[in-house]
Amino acid sequence: MSNRVAIIGVGITPFKARYLDKTYFELAYDATKLALEDANRNGAEITHKDLQSTVYGIYNELFERQFMPDIFTNSYLGMNDKPGTRIASGGATGGYTVRMAFAEVASGLSDLCLCIGLEKCNDCYDEQTGTTTPEVLNAIAYSADLTYEYPMGMMAASSYVSMVNAHYEEFGNPTEEQMAYVSVKNHGNATLNPKSQSPMKITVEDVIYSRIICYPFKMLDCCLYSEASAALILASEQKVKELGIEKPIWITGVGAANTDCFIGNRESIGRLYSNIEAAKAAYKMAGLDYNKIKDQIDVAELHDAFSGQEVISYEELGFVPFGEGGPWIEKSFEKPGEGPWINGELPCCPSGGLIGCGHAVGATGIMSTGEAALQIRGDAGKHQVKIEKGRAIAHSIGGPGAAYAAIIVMANEEGLKKP
Amino acid sequence: MSEDNFQAHEIRDVIKIQYKYTMGGQSKFFIELKENKKLLGTKCTNCGKTWMPPRINCSECYEPAEWVEMKQTGTIKVSTIVWYTTSAFIQSVPYGIAFIQLDNADTGLLQGIFSENLVPSKIKKGERVKAVFKRREDREGKMTDFFFVPEDEYEMWISKPEYEGSA
Ligand SMILES: [Zn+2]
Repeated sequence: MSNRVAIIGVGITPFKARYLDKTYFELAYDATKLALEDANRNGAEITHKDLQSTVYGIYNELFERQFMPDIFTNSYLGMNDKPGTRIASGGATGGYTVRMAFAEVASGLSDLCLCIGLEKCNDCYDEQTGTTTPEVLNAIAYSADLTYEYPMGMMAASSYVSMVNAHYEEFGNPTEEQMAYVSVKNHGNATLNPKSQSPMKITVEDVIYSRIICYPFKMLDCCLYSEASAALILASEQKVKELGIEKPIWITGVGAANTDCFIGNRESIGRLYSNIEAAKAAYKMAGLDYNKIKDQIDVAELHDAFSGQEVISYEELGFVPFGEGGPWIEKSFEKPGEGPWINGELPCCPSGGLIGCGHAVGATGIMSTGEAALQIRGDAGKHQVKIEKGRAIAHSIGGPGAAYAAIIVMANEEGLKKP
Repeated sequence: MSEDNFQAHEIRDVIKIQYKYTMGGQSKFFIELKENKKLLGTKCTNCGKTWMPPRINCSECYEPAEWVEMKQTGTIKVSTIVWYTTSAFIQSVPYGIAFIQLDNADTGLLQGIFSENLVPSKIKKGERVKAVFKRREDREGKMTDFFFVPEDEYEMWISKPEYEGSA
């Protein structure tokens, strides 16, 4: 029934603490231009005029200091008189944006769609303390329920830490050391990615003795807020043939789910049901098996906003059984061919993820999807991992209590074969 | 194109909107909190599930839920202590927050945990807690009208002039 959909171009700007020389729509222009150049290196001969529609992933009006920032971006990108739709789903904005852009092309609404995420958070500024971050965190905290949660001092880290602490109570993991290994891995991977904001060679001790943020998360367990834009160009199968794309990366599965945004309403606080449901749906659509997924894909770009959440994601996404996420990373340290390390059995966040690259919310999930696509295209650069199966996944979560989840499964031509 | 010696122009600004918003069907919860130091939840007329925060409709059954008075004692399901936070709360660190299951509730309620000894081992999962209210003149019909304390600190907290126990 539906059209097959491929990613034919990827454009990602550097992730930086602050772009003083660019507004949010100027960043979006840069990412779009990079994605068009990438598509043209991949066999196309297109300009922005050939793009038929746009789906925008922009999380937070308070960051951009502009409501409906998509329409101003639409103007700057030269997309007037064509359809453009905005998605806003917290930290999962990027993944959900890919899902909706996929739907536009799969349904035939568009044959060539620009899927673009952007965010510029560090224009927020607290005059009283003369600092940026607490005001950025405040702009994010407005995503908690403003009557029942925000007045308690709830924010992103305390929301995620509730799930991680409850998971620890239920399964005995992740420990502080196991979480620290995620930080070591992702900051380390970021040293190979020239677009990352936080490349660092660090040790478990560095993480554990970094400043406490909210028990037991330390500074180095947390991603930094970032400014960036990331763009994908999605094409229908017919358009792929017409344009003569050399290395199309097919989107073979999309799965999404929203669990209860009130953490206290969940049957178990230590489990993100949205992750589990999104993963199962995406894998099923792609013809893959939740219980064997670790052996069916080459690479995963995960949503590691906080180190402990990456550990839990190993379990919820089906890589390892519940309770074994922490040991999976801890025991594989410096053992090539094992665990989630860049030279491991299933590299997770070879780009550096959010902890290494930074978190430019609307752009993040599109960066993750683009990075995963470049990996199975063989074009990831210095952080290229070994590709044998030709399949990858990208994972986005966010919102109050990380209620939103979206997972994208991708394959190169080889990966289209049955596992 | 980026220029050499680029100079950014920054504009200082604040976005401010004032509200007087209605809590709609949940209004009774806030009125009883403010006037009578009661914590009202709701109970589904069909499946019997209690909702706290309250909902006047059951989201599971699409049937009405009735007001029920909740116990003011409960158990911590999960907690954390915050040491670095938003500009709105940075002056208040460290502070404790927890999801608390009241003794006759099916859901966990997010609230502040106050303790003389604010350490993870004191406000851990399973700890018994009890609600403490601001005194009448300070209660505004908001979630900040009350908080929870470990049961063994309850008498000490309500002996402070600015706080009260339940009626
Ligand atoms: Zn019901």
